[in-house]
Amino acid sequence: MSALARQKMALIVHPDLTMLSRYQALLTRAEFSTVVARDIPTALMAITQHYFEVAIISSQLGESGDGWPLAGVFHLVFPKSFVSVIVPGADLLNLQTAINNGVQEIFEEDHAPDAVVSAILTATAIPATPSARNRSRLQ
Amino acid sequence: MPEKPTLLIVDDEANVLFTLKLVLEEDGYDITTASSCAEALKLIHNAHQFDAILTDLRMEQEDIGLELAEAAAKLHPRPVIMILTGYGSVENARGALGIQVDYFALKPLDLDDLKNALHRLLVWRGRVRRGRA
Repeated sequence: MSALARQKMALIVHPDLTMLSRYQALLTRAEFSTVVARDIPTALMAITQHYFEVAIISSQLGESGDGWPLAGVFHLVFPKSFVSVIVPGADLLNLQTAINNGVQEIFEEDHAPDAVVSAILTATAIPATPSARNRSRLQ
Repeated sequence: MPEKPTLLIVDDEANVLFTLKLVLEEDGYDITTASSCAEALKLIHNAHQFDAILTDLRMEQEDIGLELAEAAAKLHPRPVIMILTGYGSVENARGALGIQVDYFALKPLDLDDLKNALHRLLVWRGRVRRGRA
């Protein structure tokens, strides 16, 4: 099988446009191509159209807790990809829900987006800064 | 694909082991039991292959079930790993998330939920045919 050169893709699902924009900027800087969504139907449509390596999903989209089943679907569709969920608090119930939906990591809402992205890049062993080769390509 | 999916159930409470064995055998699973983490570790390192491991957390020591889960997560093929505990805490749930355990249930168990989750996870891993066991 030949290796296909393609940009890694990330799905960001969050009801807050400011947060979407911040996560998008950080992941773009880490050389991801991002798709953003503010609701479940848009996110599901994106899942049918792309192969995602990473997802950042808020646990509260339209209503409390509705981000969890979306994260579960993401895990079923992309079992080798990294799915993380932004939660109001890392309590036992949220941790249990994360495990039972195949989520790899949860982050509390007050966690800075750059810390979240940095943790995800570390967990997925993707360099956080562009490589020398990529930097030179940008110049 | 095995005809009868094999399960290892680990719990230091004999009545829990007995009930889970009874209920899951009735559903068509081939059950092995262990009453301690040490006994379970011997089994999984002794060429026994299990499709799923269901373990308690607090046995010889507090949260020792996580050691079994961690050892099981390194096996090839990796079994479905389910933690069943009466002593859930942020700490042990975070540990389970770090190991990428497949299911975390708090006792008292809802047996229908447990059976559904087990079947779903085994089907998804390709260990059983759809609609069986």
